[in-house]
Amino acid sequence: MASIELLILFLVGTGIVAYLLTKLNTTLGSIFTIFSVMFVFISLASYGFNLGLNETVNIIPGLTFTQTYLGFYFAIIIVFIYLMVSFFHPYYLDDYKYKDSYNLLFLLSLAGIIGAFYTDNFLQLFFFFELIIWTTMFLIPQGKSREAAVTYFGFSVAGSVAMLLGIFMIYQSSGTFDISIGLASLNGTTSIFVFVLFLIAAFSKLGIFPLHIWLPIAHGNAPHPFSPVLSGALVKLGAFIGVLALIKIVPATGVIGVIDMHVGQYIVAILGSLSIVFGTLMAIKEDDAKKLLAYSSMSHGGYILVAFSMLNSVAFAGGFYHILAHALASAGAFMAIAAVARATGTTKMKQLGGMIHKMPITYLAYLIAIISMAGIPPMGGFLSKWLIFQAVINKGMILVAIAVFFGSVGSFLYVFRPLASLFLGQELTEYKGVKEAPILMLIPTFIIMGLNVFTGTFPGAILKYINNIIVELGYAGINVTSSGIVDVYSGQGVLNPTLVSMVFGTGTLIAFLIFILLKKSRKVDLMDTYTAGNFVHDEHLLHYSVDFYAPLERLYEKQSNWMTKFYDALALKVKEIGKFSKYLFMSKNIGTTIFWIIAIIILLLWGEVL
Amino acid sequence: MIVNILVGIGVAFFGFVLQTSTAGVNRKIVGRLQKRYGPRWYQEFIDIFKLLSKRSVSHGWIFDFGVIMALGGVIGTAMFMPITSSFVAFQNYDNFFIYVYLMAVGMLGMAMSASGSGNPWASIGVMRALTTMLAYEVPFLIVVLTIINISGTSSMTEIQLFQQAAGNNWFIIALPLGGIVGVISLMGMLGKKPFETYIAPAEIASGPMVEYGGKQLGMLFILHEISAFIEISLFVHLFLGGATNIVEYLIKYFTVYTFVNLISNVNGRFKIDQVVTFFYKWPLLMAVTQAVIAIYFGWVI
Repeated sequence: MASIELLILFLVGTGIVAYLLTKLNTTLGSIFTIFSVMFVFISLASYGFNLGLNETVNIIPGLTFTQTYLGFYFAIIIVFIYLMVSFFHPYYLDDYKYKDSYNLLFLLSLAGIIGAFYTDNFLQLFFFFELIIWTTMFLIPQGKSREAAVTYFGFSVAGSVAMLLGIFMIYQSSGTFDISIGLASLNGTTSIFVFVLFLIAAFSKLGIFPLHIWLPIAHGNAPHPFSPVLSGALVKLGAFIGVLALIKIVPATGVIGVIDMHVGQYIVAILGSLSIVFGTLMAIKEDDAKKLLAYSSMSHGGYILVAFSMLNSVAFAGGFYHILAHALASAGAFMAIAAVARATGTTKMKQLGGMIHKMPITYLAYLIAIISMAGIPPMGGFLSKWLIFQAVINKGMILVAIAVFFGSVGSFLYVFRPLASLFLGQELTEYKGVKEAPILMLIPTFIIMGLNVFTGTFPGAILKYINNIIVELGYAGINVTSSGIVDVYSGQGVLNPTLVSMVFGTGTLIAFLIFILLKKSRKVDLMDTYTAGNFVHDEHLLHYSVDFYAPLERLYEKQSNWMTKFYDALALKVKEIGKFSKYLFMSKNIGTTIFWIIAIIILLLWGEVL
Repeated sequence: MIVNILVGIGVAFFGFVLQTSTAGVNRKIVGRLQKRYGPRWYQEFIDIFKLLSKRSVSHGWIFDFGVIMALGGVIGTAMFMPITSSFVAFQNYDNFFIYVYLMAVGMLGMAMSASGSGNPWASIGVMRALTTMLAYEVPFLIVVLTIINISGTSSMTEIQLFQQAAGNNWFIIALPLGGIVGVISLMGMLGKKPFETYIAPAEIASGPMVEYGGKQLGMLFILHEISAFIEISLFVHLFLGGATNIVEYLIKYFTVYTFVNLISNVNGRFKIDQVVTFFYKWPLLMAVTQAVIAIYFGWVI
């Protein structure tokens, strides 16, 4: 019987052991980390599904735990991503400056995650959130840039402070830190304030417009094995807070009649839509493969938020399924890019080309991940997007629908870009010596590939589990059979994912038969192409990868950096205020200092009198 | 289940034959329009079978694999397509989004294969094709949103039955603005002028097709015909009330294809950024206006 408390203590303990082992030998420490995470994953998976974990607390004083389907769903996904990524550690850690502490921080942040999803107390939630933020903050600068960590930390802290303020407001109105009682007791103006504050926390973690600036900076510059965790797992913390705020708090705002939605929720849906559109447009423009995927995370965060703002069970099912599908797809894609980056030393797409000939399995992993990310059957992303589409159509939310459809089609564009210019195209001479990723890195790649297909083909069991969460949240579960046939809004949409995959398989079989029965083709070199009569000897000249979508990018070139400009201007203003206060308070003149001390004391006393 | 799959394969084959013949007849019609005789109506078949029988070149495994995946995805999509309101291979499972997204897997395969050839023209063509897709899909999907919201179902058979029920008009009449958007989007989907920027033979050497020959090109021709069949059938079922019997279907199908083909033959070609700005100006505006009128005000003719 696994106990939640023991799992957390286990992770802290193994973290320290991993630190010592890594100091001794990086590979040894990393392998130890793999086994620790695997132990936690197996304990969670074997006892957690039916909420059979032990909740009692014996050792750490003051902590209380509870189990919910909601918390478990998030926890198992995130622990799984951690497990998959930990297989990459032995091959990357040697390059990092502070490699000894990498495994320690990695395991500590996982402890924070288990704590955050199993707590029933707001202060603990805040504590574990901070634990996650502080540990990951030291992981990010091991990659390319320190500035990335600062940006990540700044936005995360803004989110946590907002959440803390919300927690205090709940405490003020209800007198308890208990999550479910506290959220249920809200009403009137307080509910609006708490709603907004919690959503700021959710937005900053999930990277939703207008708090999205940190995503590409942090994801793009984080260490290669940590980017999948950031995008696949950690941003989902924001989704968790978003679920708490959107579903459990009913802000005292009006209701929009035609679409039957609260104003508060509708504004969130619009902001989610904006981040879908912005994320898509920026991803299309981006040249760094990791930053591109980061912008795609922003866009998918928008889908999750749109789904939860609609407040009905089909949309919830879509949102929860999307969390799983995007975690798998994004982790798969980031891991493939990480493998390429390890082999070539760069993630800039314009410097890469023709990697498929050297790394075919990595290519397949990326291909399957992006099919899911673009929401194309037979992968998991299709089902979740399908559920969200049906919900949007049923509500008749036209403006949101534009964004949702735009993001969906736009995702074909941006996911194809790395495929075309990084993996396909001419095989560039400088990468002739590159080899496929080692077998230990291919294990998680294969598992994630398999799961991407599985979630798209046999969703029955997962959707049934999601129904448990939806019932727990107080809504009726959606109509799904155990073979995965989904029927939403009593006949508005019926989908049989297994059949879709089977028919696709049949079609491919027919195409394959046509192909194989005809005359065999002659194999020719990649340089042996039609060049309109010119002799081109250089692979680079025949490789189309710089500014892939140039004609489209030109249409919004001028508008593309105004959010960055806004934040730059904001940073400048903050600096100016800092300078001004420095001028006022930090003067070298001792008289000024004494004046302020006296003034503040008088103010404090005066406040006491009042 | 086996029977259903065989029926589905039959539908895909029927679609191929139907569209190839229709395209052949249309070549003759256009020929007459331009005061030529035009080729025989079965010329398209001859072209395809000639290509399939020829020996070709291959640029590596992804070049072949992409073609197989593309044709497979499109055949799979066609297998779901209802012919009339009572004839469909997989009853109840003909959901609208399958057509859009399962066909996308085919398009992805083709794009992958074309980029895998290592020819820059192919990549440019793929870039243009995807950009065009981004342009026409959004207005089209907004119109479909209106249709699904009004009829309360996203099954193609049910949408046909809804239009055939007494008291309901075809959606091209019930939603006139949406109908116009439907026609324009259909032209984009079919890659008809003025939206054929991604093929543009005189400009980028046929774009994605540049490196193909022999059986690969033959398979892409089959893919092209079947996807045209899917797109036109979607239009017939969504906007023209579907069909109660096969003759009605054939008449509607032929009329729609000939109509858009005639329009396209008197047009020039847009630049790719013009395609995007065009679709995001009038068609999107009309689609949104139509959706607001129909869903929020309930004004459906």
